[in-house]
Amino acid sequence: MSWVAQVRAPVQRKLLVAFLLITLLFIAMGAFSLFTIREMSRQSELLDRAHQRLERAQEIHHSLAMQMHLTAMALLVRDEAAVASVLRENNRFNEALAQLEAAVEDPERVVIQKVRAGQEEAMVIVADIANLVRDGKIAAATQLHASREDPLYRSIDARVAEMVQRENAGMVSLRDGLRAAQQRSLVVMASFAAISVLLALGGGFVISWALIRPVYAAHGLLNELAGGRFGGTVTVPNRDEFGELAARLSATSRELARLDAEQRCAAQELGALNAKLEQASKAKSEFLANMSHELRTPLNAILGFTEMLSDGLYGPVPAQYKEPLADIQTNGRHLLRLINDVLDLSKIEAGRMELAMEEYSAQEVVGMVRASLRSLAEEKGLDFKVEVDPGLPEVLRGDAKRIMQCLLNLAGNALKFTKRGGVTIRAARDGDCVRYSVSDTGIGIPTDQLAEVFAEFRQVDATVTREFGGTGLGLSITKKFVEMHGGRIWVESRLNEGSAFHFTIPLRSEIASTV
Amino acid sequence: MSQKTILYVEDNEFNRKIIRQLLAQTSYRLREAHDGESGVRAAQDELPDLILMDVQLPKMSGLEATQRLRADPRTAAVPIIIITSYAMDGDAQKANDAGATAYLAKPYSPRHLLAKIREIVPEA
Repeated sequence: MSWVAQVRAPVQRKLLVAFLLITLLFIAMGAFSLFTIREMSRQSELLDRAHQRLERAQEIHHSLAMQMHLTAMALLVRDEAAVASVLRENNRFNEALAQLEAAVEDPERVVIQKVRAGQEEAMVIVADIANLVRDGKIAAATQLHASREDPLYRSIDARVAEMVQRENAGMVSLRDGLRAAQQRSLVVMASFAAISVLLALGGGFVISWALIRPVYAAHGLLNELAGGRFGGTVTVPNRDEFGELAARLSATSRELARLDAEQRCAAQELGALNAKLEQASKAKSEFLANMSHELRTPLNAILGFTEMLSDGLYGPVPAQYKEPLADIQTNGRHLLRLINDVLDLSKIEAGRMELAMEEYSAQEVVGMVRASLRSLAEEKGLDFKVEVDPGLPEVLRGDAKRIMQCLLNLAGNALKFTKRGGVTIRAARDGDCVRYSVSDTGIGIPTDQLAEVFAEFRQVDATVTREFGGTGLGLSITKKFVEMHGGRIWVESRLNEGSAFHFTIPLRSEIASTV
Repeated sequence: MSQKTILYVEDNEFNRKIIRQLLAQTSYRLREAHDGESGVRAAQDELPDLILMDVQLPKMSGLEATQRLRADPRTAAVPIIIITSYAMDGDAQKANDAGATAYLAKPYSPRHLLAKIREIVPEA
């Protein structure tokens, strides 16, 4: 069956050829039917003519019998008028004979001419008999009838009877032939129909199979591809569009396999690279931890000795040494904050900072921030207030240590940048969040720099750093801690009037541990 | 009451000097060790009243030394304050797991440390 597939021709042409073949078969069947119908009508016409000939022949036969009978009657009734009836009958006879002669073939015409010759001779004898009857010579007339007319009529009658028999036989044979032809054409038509149906069915089956088989094969390959098994091929005997389709499919599958292999290779490389990066990141973390240790050890000694010196452990401290000693301590603590901030930020960026979610009280957190910064505020003569909205739930969720760190950063900055007036920390409910706000009456932030305050190592202006100190990392770290909680942070500020920093922490905070 | 002995295990000379000078004003007797191994040995020999243990030490870490001392029945009950400059999260937990009595992060205030020592081992 694959030979249909192997034919190098488009599917459309194959289908056209198949349909054309079937159409031709039907045309042939139609032509044959037309031919058969024509043949049948010709045969039935012949039969009709034969039937007419038989009727004429029988009419002739009958007319002849009438003539004989009428002649006998004329002799019996001795009436000449009866003979005239014979003549009338003769006219009918001649008419029928002429019709028959026109309808028959040559051999039969010879017989008819002989019959006519006999009849003409008979008519002469009838005329003689009529004359004798008129003259009253009945005996002579009877004698003439018996010796001449009667034998002559009998010989004509025999000939006509033979003719009738022949016509009859011809008609019977024609009828038989017609019946046989009918039978034959019926068989031929049935065969034609059967062959056409078989051919149409067979052709349809062969062609559809040649088309369906590659579809099944392609289906199988597509299933494999869908299942992620690339590289399989599909082979079909088709040399048509389906053959081309199969070849394309196979090429696609091979290409997919190649891409898959490439992708796997790339993934492997990426994996290796990732492992290296992870190692590098770990090394970085370790380096930072070590650095932190290395920096803290001498810092510990500096701060320790300074404290012991200030505490009078080495003897009374001269008044003029007290301020420089306090300066050493302030700067030492600043350096410590810097180290801590850098460490925090690097941990956040390495994704190693994790929040310790716990239940906490806003009142407590805010109170601890106030306690830590109160002395600074008092030193600067600033008003430092905390307000906790009574509508806030008593128990909140979050990393209290980090939230406190955020508030310390914001409030520390606020105190730092405020020369007169005060700083207020507020905690209030804001929808599904708790909102912490730190507002001051400080120098404010120019509008064009508001967007940048949360960027790393940024302070509004380099001179600000010199005047007020600070690492420039506090706000950036604060923003990251807030975002790790799933909250957001923003700032409102008017230059020379003050700033307000707000951040929210979701009340049901169960969020991702990394930013 | 007899004089209380404190063992300080620390590799940095300046940090040792701070404690030395801090305790010189008190009645505590100070023993020093420069690394983890000698720290453990000194603790087993001296059976001090309190041990101050740094974490980052040569030869053996302060955490491991603490575990060793906790495993030894003679030193299992000696209070140990772990002092670390490794400000990583979970350090306090690690110190606690190792069996430390208290935990202090560097830089510490000498004043606070002394208060802590007096709280755990009152002066004679």
